[in-house]
Amino acid sequence: MQKITVAERPGWRDRAAELGFTFADMGGEPYWDETSAYRFTLRQIEDDIEDPATELHEMCRQAVAHAVTSEEWMTRLEIPRPYWDFVERSWAHGEPELYGRFDLAYDGNGPAKLLEYNADTPTSLYESASFQWLWFEESRDAGTLGPNTDQFNTIHEALAERWAEIAPQGEDIHFAADRDNPEDFATVEALAWAAREAGLGAHFTALADIGLSEDGQFADDKDRVIGTLFKLYPWEDMLRDDFAAHLQPSQTRFIEPPWKAVLSNKGILPLLWQMFPDHPNLLPAFFAADIEAARRGERNDFTDAIARAEPQLSRGHVAKPVFSREGAGVVITEAGREVERAPDDSYSHHPRVVQALAPLPDFDGFHPVLGAWIVGLRCAGLGVREDRARITHNLSRFKPHFIEG
Amino acid sequence: MTVHSRPPAAAANPARKRSRHVALVLAGTAMLTLAACEDDRVDAQAFPDLESCLAAAKGSGLFFTETDCRTQFAAAQEEHLETAPRYASKELCEQEHGAGACGDDPAAQQSQGGGFSFMPLFMGYMMGSMLSRGGGVFSQPMIRTPNGYSTPNGNQSFASNRGSARVPTSTFARAPSTIGKAPMSATQVSQRGGFGASATSRATGGAARSVGG
Repeated sequence: MQKITVAERPGWRDRAAELGFTFADMGGEPYWDETSAYRFTLRQIEDDIEDPATELHEMCRQAVAHAVTSEEWMTRLEIPRPYWDFVERSWAHGEPELYGRFDLAYDGNGPAKLLEYNADTPTSLYESASFQWLWFEESRDAGTLGPNTDQFNTIHEALAERWAEIAPQGEDIHFAADRDNPEDFATVEALAWAAREAGLGAHFTALADIGLSEDGQFADDKDRVIGTLFKLYPWEDMLRDDFAAHLQPSQTRFIEPPWKAVLSNKGILPLLWQMFPDHPNLLPAFFAADIEAARRGERNDFTDAIARAEPQLSRGHVAKPVFSREGAGVVITEAGREVERAPDDSYSHHPRVVQALAPLPDFDGFHPVLGAWIVGLRCAGLGVREDRARITHNLSRFKPHFIEG
Repeated sequence: MTVHSRPPAAAANPARKRSRHVALVLAGTAMLTLAACEDDRVDAQAFPDLESCLAAAKGSGLFFTETDCRTQFAAAQEEHLETAPRYASKELCEQEHGAGACGDDPAAQQSQGGGFSFMPLFMGYMMGSMLSRGGGVFSQPMIRTPNGYSTPNGNQSFASNRGSARVPTSTFARAPSTIGKAPMSATQVSQRGGFGASATSRATGGAARSVGG
């Protein structure tokens, strides 16, 4: 894994604008940044990212199977009790997942470490699946990249195949997101194009325009019944909204399915560590409350594991609220001293999880996080984000990557 | 280079790690709407009864025939029974549909129980040509509204129950008869805005915040 300076494609900003990629710059800073790119070997991609991410997803599925039948874990994961059955039924019925993104710490050596799983509402899909692909094809055609290069990016094709697997031909899918957020909308649109390619109907409705019919079904902004709803909106919020009580009776099919509420939750990290202790791709993680209890001398199910992880935790750990997006509420502590704190604390009132620190590598003053995309059950591609800060957030730059060697 | 040298197996048959094609264009919200339901108007003609339809069908250049008049009249009568709104009292019904526009529900008299036994009277039917959409002639019954007429789904209202016009195809969407309507069918929305409060975040203010990760 190296960071290589590469020539930018002449006129790429105009091309981006022409394609509708309107947020290539955000907040006066570049968001898409092709002044350099990350280079991986094929072995690094396949052995260190692709296969481990596929395995992590399978482990997450096992964790869901455990959590949905455990009152203790449903409570710990802050899933509102009235909806436990709704979540559990969706798992028991085998409702299929569409996509997700693991955030991994990796520097080219040793196992990649799971920071968190964006299993419910991952964004940056268009950048990963499409614009990054275009960068690769054009840079290779221009000779900027050598002839024996490749990119780990089957995301679009994998999405089209997955849609065809999980929905019958001709089915109409509604896509709901915040209309005013171009980043979110681009992700939804990337998914919708893949759905259309799979022979499905794709219709957008703004999330806030969804209505409830007199029959208790959900309807779009044109009063049409919603049969299948893809929502780029977190389950933890769905389950707390005014319409929450209508979710299950509506008989709507949701994508991602309700059981993703278990995964899109930092509380999954302690569960994974409990079920798969010392797994090479996992970091020790516990609920802050359990660590505090252990320090008070109280015994619980986690006491021994906490004691074993204590030296690693005191070298460095990261505290994050069970619910949060885009790095909000994350605090990094090293050797007892707070070294970095996300400015956004809008989720900090939730219970916290404490995870051992896997320091992000430093490439020219930037810290990359690898986004390993899961489509269906398999890892299908890679997107890299980097930032000067050690907590990646929504304005962190998207960096293209390629495979060589 | 020797004659024995050959490209590595991977180069001879590269295990490609990327898509062969992708979707590159972000078209914005407009592209993801259902084109078929927007500004898709069809020729339609309304008749208060079968006789006026049969009389009109003698003309030329029409999208319907005398046979259509008969079949669609029967279909509209049946649909009226299945989909017209029901009310607990004649007064309630007349509030919605106008004085003298309501009658007993013949279906309720056959079954037992159920307090909703008044419904708006059948006031004729509207036929529409779906030929441009690959279909034939469709119809919907017409009932009274306080100011005119509509089909039972209430999507459109009309000043009269006779005459021709170009009307939205949604006029011909069948009104609900039972709970659990098919996806994409028209429905009656009773509330909106129940999603999107982002309850787990304390962030406030108008700026659109990504929910993504």
